[in-house]
Amino acid sequence: MKGQRMANYAAIAGVLAGLAAIGGGLYARSAEPVFGIPQFFGIYSDYLSGVHVLMGIGVIMIVGGLLSLKWPSVGAIIVCFAAMAGLVYTYNRGQYRWVPLVYYWWGPWLLAWIAGIFAGYAAYKNVPQSAEKLSDARHAEGHSA
Amino acid sequence: MRLITAVVFVFTLTCSGSFGMEDVISSSGPGLTLLMILFLPLVWSVPMAFVASELGSMVPEAGGLYRWIRRGMGEYWSFQAGWWWTLSLYVDSAVYVALALDYMEAKWGFSGGTRAIIGVGIIAVFTFINMRGLDLTGWSLTIIQIGVMVPLVIFTVWGIAVGSGNPFSPILPEGESFVGSMQLGLAIMMWMYSGWESISTLAGEIENPQKVIPRALMIGTPLVIATYFFSVFAAIRVAGIDGPDNWMNMWTGGGGVDFVEAAQMIGGGVLAYLMLMSAILSNIGLYAGYLATGARPQFQMSRDRLLPKFLGLTHKSWGTPWAAILLMALVNGVLINFNFSALITIDVFLLMFPYVLIFLTAMILRVKEPDAPRSFRVPMPTWLLGVWVAFPIAIAIIALFVNGTDWMIGGLAGVLTGPIAYLVFKNIYKGTTDEALEGSVVTPSGELTEFGAAVEGAGA
Repeated sequence: MKGQRMANYAAIAGVLAGLAAIGGGLYARSAEPVFGIPQFFGIYSDYLSGVHVLMGIGVIMIVGGLLSLKWPSVGAIIVCFAAMAGLVYTYNRGQYRWVPLVYYWWGPWLLAWIAGIFAGYAAYKNVPQSAEKLSDARHAEGHSA
Repeated sequence: MRLITAVVFVFTLTCSGSFGMEDVISSSGPGLTLLMILFLPLVWSVPMAFVASELGSMVPEAGGLYRWIRRGMGEYWSFQAGWWWTLSLYVDSAVYVALALDYMEAKWGFSGGTRAIIGVGIIAVFTFINMRGLDLTGWSLTIIQIGVMVPLVIFTVWGIAVGSGNPFSPILPEGESFVGSMQLGLAIMMWMYSGWESISTLAGEIENPQKVIPRALMIGTPLVIATYFFSVFAAIRVAGIDGPDNWMNMWTGGGGVDFVEAAQMIGGGVLAYLMLMSAILSNIGLYAGYLATGARPQFQMSRDRLLPKFLGLTHKSWGTPWAAILLMALVNGVLINFNFSALITIDVFLLMFPYVLIFLTAMILRVKEPDAPRSFRVPMPTWLLGVWVAFPIAIAIIALFVNGTDWMIGGLAGVLTGPIAYLVFKNIYKGTTDEALEGSVVTPSGELTEFGAAVEGAGA
């Protein structure tokens, strides 16, 4: 695979994103044990507090990062989606008690984005581009794919 | 498209009246607002206008910024810029329809159902006009801008004549620091001074775009600054009639001294009505303009096999990207019926990323292809251009952090859709090699060839 080095970088970034999220969760657990209400997208449970969400999404990111080694596109999509879900969850909770959670997401977000960039470069190298010339844009009928 | 029509496009996409400036006055103080109008362009919009002119004259292709960035930074980053920019405009264009409806509703107070019908009607009319082509769109925008500017000019001249007080005083709101005051109005001001890159997306349908677009931008830049400065100057003087501190009551959205209320103060109901029409037409014009420009990058990305095939369809008779226009209009039609204030916060954030990539592309292409034909070249050496564009890059990055938590979170989530979309569409549609890219080419003498023609000595 031509883009294996990029896939490796994507995997490293994805795993680090997961570790950052879990680290944030562990820190939050010691610093703010009641951090966040136990709810995630309308589902209520004691295991869905801010701490648990950070750690749960961190685990998903690590899995995504490891998958990037073999399938960089699939792995990075998982990592990026997990980071997005965490951010939207944070946003959805209003600004006051959840502002600290935003800062916990900075690290995972940045690393997830980097994972996506490396996976993108891997895809660019691995997926053969079409060499078929298109017709004049003024009379286009779209590509043939 | 003639030069005058291109200037109207630039004016519409970057200004279209001064509605919205009222909020900057009460946030940042009247003096600082006027100073920002005069000096912010030097480090924000003028660099973009110049860089867009240079890149547009070097790579005059449909999709504009998307194709510039592809040439400078490759397929991945061009997709990211095109995706973020398009995503942002999907929301942004709907906002203009919603704002026009807000003005109408405040005046005539119609029901939710009527609001939806009028909104869909506006979208349908300008979708059809856009599908017919840029000539008709340009004519529509010209008529709209006459409707916007005539009341605004009357108000400005009248307001300066009969208004009261020194509009530069006070410089800042009492008790506020210079940085604190500027920060309050900076986001709005940046927004008011954005859009210079937009006309480049139409390059594929403009004759001699490598010449027309830079000229239109060079004419449009002082025109926009003058429009903002004199109309805001007049508005502050008019507000001053009711007391020297009345600028604190200037805001949009009801209850404040906005342009319509200020017109009422000096010209009574007739001028207020004309100004209301101006505000409504301003937002409708912005919608029509951004529907035109927002559809083109996704059209070109589809043609480059990075988005679904149907987005790359061109109308057989009119030669316009009708499917991309229609999809954008359909999304707009849905969005105007919801409270999507959260989404608005995302689109400003997302625009900052393509802006940074455009400036970086300008520098990369200066280094990588210093001798490539450019019918317009920013008249400064590469190192000085680098220093100059460092300012807007810094402003864009700072803006990411100073506009509130919700703005940042929504934007950060939006940024992550870029890599996800690229990975999905790249694996499905594969992309196109650089050699097979269809597009026009600038010859060493600065002339534009037919689409897809090969010219010795000129980059494809």
